[in-house]
Amino acid sequence: MNWAIEVNDLNVWYGDKHVIKNVSFKVPKNIIFAVMGPSGCGKSTLLRAMNRLLELNPYARVEGQVKINGIDVYSDNVDITWVRRQFGMVFQTPNPFPHLSIYENVALGPKLNGLVKDRSELDELVKHSLQQAYLWDEVKNDLKKPASMLSGGQQQRLCIARALALKPKIILMDEPTANLDPVASSKIEELMLELKEEYTIIIVTHNPQQAARISDYVAFLYMGELIEIGETSMVFTRPRHVLTEKYVVGRMG
Amino acid sequence: MDGLSFIFKSVWNPVKEDYGILPALLGTLITSAIAISISTPLAISLAVFSTEILPMRFRGFINNISDLMASLPSVIYGLWGLYVLAPILYQYVMIPLHQYLGFIPLFSTKPIPTNLFTAGVLLAIMIVPFASSVIREAYSAVPYYLKEAAYSLGMTKWEVIKTMLGYIKSAIFAGIFLALGRAMGETMAVAMVVGNTFTLPKSLFDMGYTISSLIANQFPNAEAYNYMIPALYGGAFILFIVGLIINLAGLHWIKKVMIKG
Amino acid sequence: MNKRKVIEKVMLGVISSLAIVSAIPIFAIVINIYSEGARHLTLDFLIDLPPPPVGGRDGGIGPALIGSLILTSLAVAIGGSIGFFTGLYLSEFSHTRLAQYTQMSLQIMVEFPTIIIGLFAYMILVAPLKRFNALAGAFALSIVIIPYIALNVREAYRSIPYTLKEAAFSLGFSAPTAYLRILLSTARRGVLTALLIGMAKAAGETAPLLLTILGTTFTYFGGLDQPINAIPLLIYNFALSPYERWHQVAWGAAAVLLTIILTIFIISRLVVREVKI
Repeated sequence: MNWAIEVNDLNVWYGDKHVIKNVSFKVPKNIIFAVMGPSGCGKSTLLRAMNRLLELNPYARVEGQVKINGIDVYSDNVDITWVRRQFGMVFQTPNPFPHLSIYENVALGPKLNGLVKDRSELDELVKHSLQQAYLWDEVKNDLKKPASMLSGGQQQRLCIARALALKPKIILMDEPTANLDPVASSKIEELMLELKEEYTIIIVTHNPQQAARISDYVAFLYMGELIEIGETSMVFTRPRHVLTEKYVVGRMG
Repeated sequence: MDGLSFIFKSVWNPVKEDYGILPALLGTLITSAIAISISTPLAISLAVFSTEILPMRFRGFINNISDLMASLPSVIYGLWGLYVLAPILYQYVMIPLHQYLGFIPLFSTKPIPTNLFTAGVLLAIMIVPFASSVIREAYSAVPYYLKEAAYSLGMTKWEVIKTMLGYIKSAIFAGIFLALGRAMGETMAVAMVVGNTFTLPKSLFDMGYTISSLIANQFPNAEAYNYMIPALYGGAFILFIVGLIINLAGLHWIKKVMIKG
Repeated sequence: MNKRKVIEKVMLGVISSLAIVSAIPIFAIVINIYSEGARHLTLDFLIDLPPPPVGGRDGGIGPALIGSLILTSLAVAIGGSIGFFTGLYLSEFSHTRLAQYTQMSLQIMVEFPTIIIGLFAYMILVAPLKRFNALAGAFALSIVIIPYIALNVREAYRSIPYTLKEAAFSLGFSAPTAYLRILLSTARRGVLTALLIGMAKAAGETAPLLLTILGTTFTYFGGLDQPINAIPLLIYNFALSPYERWHQVAWGAAAVLLTIILTIFIISRLVVREVKI
């Protein structure tokens, strides 16, 4: 079976604090995989351990393996910037580069990483990414306008387009709709269901209803430990662990 | 170098190659003392005024004024000090003080416009912005609920201010120490108004030297003599050590402020 | 009347008066300098050689102006680059011991007597060459401004929201690209302010120049290894001279310097204003 990503015995420490404890799981391709759990359980840390963004924090220490296509991203001869480009990441607060235009935000990644040969290829790529992110029609006449002029929901879709422009295999989403209104949120959820045809999506969410709505597989993380993992329908209707049941029913922070 | 005697000798004789920097050392201490005593109440008042008394819309303006004062070049203060401040101090402060209170040793010398007193006053003017911005920031950072608590106890505005100032004592010390460090190291403005005479100061109105103005004044001549340059290096070294100690003390107080806040 | 209320009114009055007193000098200085010096602000004044002590034509501050331009540009180029990278390092690697010691040292250097820095430059660049020279002056000035620039650049980078940093790195950029191309544009206003502050300092400092450049009055520019003049140094020398005509030139030069400083100050405030949006 071809996995999009394999996580084996992952452990993460912040200084002396053990925040991810012996987590292992495998994610199939072209699905939406949700990681849910109460605040502080380590979901965001887990996500950042996958694309090695965690290393921006000088106090973080990682042990274990994260494999994509059989390659362990933590092995010595792997280029960390290559690793990060295999993933596209979308964050909790939409964070387009405010001083760049809509076009430049999407174009920046491919341009600086040398993914395109000339301007017309770049234009095509930007257009395609914005289309995939359901944003093209709304901004096609305003590509030069600064990204800060978009609404929250539009900014988040811009960030998705920016991530897609690098043609990653896996998209990591850290509570992408937490700061958006319900209309914008549902647009993003619709978008995710479309995107899973071409990409594998791993989404962290503090909202179990969202996980139930859109994910195919779900993992429940509690205090850094993987409590339960399985098909969404199973986990929500017949949870095996009492903690999972509590969380799903809503009796947990 | 003759080490300790260098510090305590009071002679500057290039011809005989005999050097001691006591007058300059005393000059530095006296001018700094004058500067600190004048600038402390001014700096605290400016800080309190701009955060408590002034209406909101003028606060940006006065803060900008204060920052502008801090960025003015030393020579400009010096030029103004020499031709505007000195004569005014001479006529309206020094002469009267000497006339009526001349029996007090501090005011006993017949004054000349450029002397230690003028240098001290000019220094005070120059360092107020530094001290006041440190105090101002600490004052604004006091948690609002403390102010509310004081008012709710029925305190008048002045009593609340007194309480807040007590709360940020470390910041006030920090501001003063940093300002002191600056005053001791200030060279050009002082060199232009201090009189540049090598005598042991007996009163505030004597002309004198500070270590930094001594270096500034004598160095251009120093090449002609064998031992003047090392003597000046010696002075610089003392200034360096003193400056280092004062600045470290100031930073230490600032750390205390940060830990509290 | 309530005694406490009386005390309150008196003390608030005292505080306000003292505060106003401390603000008076800046207005007095600006007014005095312009009233004495503005009449000299002609193009000739900016270009001419200085006048002889008595008699002859009016003269100007040409060599000093050119000298200041050269020294300031050099100082900002050297001090700016070193200061920028130091500031960047302090911001992004703040957890290392080296960064902590460096930061503390820089904070001390900000308050340091600049004459000592001039002395240091003398030891290194004047004594060996046996001649006062422009390079020593530029060197001393750049040391003086490095702490200001580094600390301000550090603040500029520290105020970039962490999430933008994450965004930049998640796109797979290497550290130099991320810090210098993407994040720099986000921090550019703070960095620009830092450079402006450095420029103002370099233009106005005298003590570092006193022991290094000699302050020749009669050549415009003889080369980096030759003596040179600068506006603050000219003000110092002329103001202390016994000639009234040279005092006049000093006032004029002070007016020029004040204008430069005010301009830089206003520009830097405007730059910062935009950040608030």
